[in-house]
Amino acid sequence: MPAGGSISTLVAGLWLLNIVLDTGGQLAFKAAAGDRAAGDGLARWKYMASRPWLWLGIGSYVVEFLVWIAFLSLIPLSEGVLLGSINIVAIMLAGRFLFGEKLTRLRVAGILLVTLGVVIVGVGG
Amino acid sequence: MKRFYLFGFLLLMGFDTLAQISFKYAGSQALPVEANLAWLLRVFGQPWVYGAVIGYVGAFFTWIALLKHAPIGPAFAASHLEVVSVMLLSIWLFDEHLDLARVVGAIAIIAGIVCLGVAEDREHHAAQTVAT
Repeated sequence: MPAGGSISTLVAGLWLLNIVLDTGGQLAFKAAAGDRAAGDGLARWKYMASRPWLWLGIGSYVVEFLVWIAFLSLIPLSEGVLLGSINIVAIMLAGRFLFGEKLTRLRVAGILLVTLGVVIVGVGG
Repeated sequence: MKRFYLFGFLLLMGFDTLAQISFKYAGSQALPVEANLAWLLRVFGQPWVYGAVIGYVGAFFTWIALLKHAPIGPAFAASHLEVVSVMLLSIWLFDEHLDLARVVGAIAIIAGIVCLGVAEDREHHAAQTVAT
């Protein structure tokens, strides 16, 4: 077990890694599920299985699974889930840049509120 | 359709809550954290990790089903309201105490999630009005 400051470095590193994997996984699932050529029912699942997006999403989730277990074992659960909320901000910003989703004023307000909440928990915890 | 969304979001929240509780139990029993096989064996050598797998897989299929119909924003926001249920359960199950920073932070985060949900809803209606 690393001592003192290096624990918070490990926690911060796991937190950052979780953001990258969660955002990457969500975007991959969005690309897999939003493909209009996919059709319906079983054919839809077969089509998605033949393309890389679904597997990229699953791969990201598997690694994220382990990263998140490690992260939560080092801090209280109530703090961990609140810090994890920053993923909402990451996915919105990624959607803005990759899919051209609009950021209205209300959305910017939501992003700022979530970010503010995560900062309060992170600094106060 | 609204009932379908509500049921889907509640199911997603239930699976997510089960997963988070299980993650915490699994991680706590696998300490100390190490980047090696011994840690992986400790994680997968006790039952809680499989509760997390059930929650994760259940949430995954619920999420894919919702994404087919619902836009990514509100579906994602709804899935994150699990912070409320997880926080309340962690007081009871893990004897955690909610200090001021966590309560104020949680209120800001929940307010932000609600803003994002409302923004998405408004944009959705605006897009439908343009389409008709």
